[in-house]
Amino acid sequence: MAVTSPFGSRSRTRLLIALELLGQTYPRELARLLGSSLSAAQKGLESLERDGLVAGRLVGRTRVVQLNPAFFAMKEVRALLVRLVEADRELESRIAALRRRPRKSGKRL
Amino acid sequence: MRITAHSTLEQVAAVLAGVLREAGIKAVLTGGACATIYSAGGHQSEDLDLILQSSPTQRSLDEAMAKAGFVRNGDFYEHPRTSFFVEFPRGPLAIGTDTSIAPVEVQVEGVPVLLLSAEDSCRDRLAAFDHWKDRQALGAAVAIATNHPLDLEKTRAWSRREGAAAGFVEFQRTLEAAKAASHRSRPRGPR
Repeated sequence: MAVTSPFGSRSRTRLLIALELLGQTYPRELARLLGSSLSAAQKGLESLERDGLVAGRLVGRTRVVQLNPAFFAMKEVRALLVRLVEADRELESRIAALRRRPRKSGKRL
Repeated sequence: MRITAHSTLEQVAAVLAGVLREAGIKAVLTGGACATIYSAGGHQSEDLDLILQSSPTQRSLDEAMAKAGFVRNGDFYEHPRTSFFVEFPRGPLAIGTDTSIAPVEVQVEGVPVLLLSAEDSCRDRLAAFDHWKDRQALGAAVAIATNHPLDLEKTRAWSRREGAAAGFVEFQRTLEAAKAASHRSRPRGPR
């Protein structure tokens, strides 16, 4: 199914859907999940940050990004993103396959 | 007034208000800079966030800012002589989900500056505390409330609507502790 793009472009919309599903993440993980280059993911995130939809901060040397909870209409944006997941099941299953829970150090992967 | 290496945030805000007004650009000072102005030194912000209320072209905004000595670097404006930087985040003017914000005009360094009211500035910092668990923002909200009589019931009702009631409880507890500490440290007069 062709993914709809109500946030300006398909890549911006997919970045937002991924952020809704992941919570906090970082540009490299997003690039990997979306099958895009790191620079394309960074560029998309920068434009979403300028629009106030995404917020980023440095944790050590990594830039961690998330949907901006301070955006005045974030509740409505998130409700729309939850609906948009229905149109991008492929992305949803890629994210579902990600292991994000902790793994004890030394344990085999 | 010229911006120097010793200019305070209040002085920079006053210069900006002047050049923007001269250029016909309406902008409201928000965020931590308002907290600096209202907390009388209790909180120090390093940047000035202004929400545009008119729609100038990028060029006219750059030209107005250049009159104050600021040069755009990406999304920020920097000044060669001060470390304060300026940003114009996308609007609307909002505190949490509340967009019915009425800015006020306050004399800062003898210049009328359009900014959040003390009460809205306190709510704005509380919203930042709630969203980011930022203790500095909580400290700024407390510093504002220490210096300005605020309607805390109104703030409590707002925090409930925003789903930030727990943050308000912590704010109230910190505020009471700050007031008690200030009372204890006040010099006593002769008996």
